[in-house]
Amino acid sequence: MIRVTPDDFDPGDLITRARQKDVGAVVSFLGIVRDDGIEGMDVEAYEEVAEGDLQEIAEEAEAKFGAIHVDIVHRIGHLSVGDDIVLIVVGASHRKAAFLACEYIIDRIKEQVPIWKKEHSQDGSSRWVQGEH
Amino acid sequence: MDDTIHVRTFARFRELFGDGLEIAVAAPATVRSVAAELARVNPAGARELLDGEGNLSKSVIVMVNRERVAGAGREDVPVHPGDEVAFYPPVAGG
Repeated sequence: MIRVTPDDFDPGDLITRARQKDVGAVVSFLGIVRDDGIEGMDVEAYEEVAEGDLQEIAEEAEAKFGAIHVDIVHRIGHLSVGDDIVLIVVGASHRKAAFLACEYIIDRIKEQVPIWKKEHSQDGSSRWVQGEH
Repeated sequence: MDDTIHVRTFARFRELFGDGLEIAVAAPATVRSVAAELARVNPAGARELLDGEGNLSKSVIVMVNRERVAGAGREDVPVHPGDEVAFYPPVAGG
């Protein structure tokens, strides 16, 4: 499943669904809104582009590392401390490919996919998280 | 007939310029002329979009019809009526 969505998701359910007979290793990455003295954040995307980018990145991970199963779900909209932001689930034959593919996917997301976060402090101020790419 | 350029902006640029703008520019239009029109309409945002010489600031990302245009000369990429041109700051997802 490749999705940019305001809806919450169940990481356990997606990990369970990654099981297939040729998958011997499942690696997941879950990004969570950290309590940095913030109340929460708003996540914004160029939705018409972001989901296609995630699809491309998933296909790259399959081609480069032999990932067999890839899920990427990225939330948009208002999120509170403790909410899930992004989930990547990679299934591969062996652990090394699964680890490498998972790290590759999160690095590529940060590099390319048009998504931004605005953090809201408890004092009412807010700031855009500075992108590096 | 659709004779305007659809301009999309996101994050800090959306707050500065607004999203979903329809901009009319004289043909032959380029990324440069669209950016110049945005800056003209909104001088407060101009400093974030353009450098001192009227080129796009290096950190600004541009898409024409949802494809990135990058590298030297990106300001000279032609745009046509009905095209979607997006300007946005560095991405920060994940």
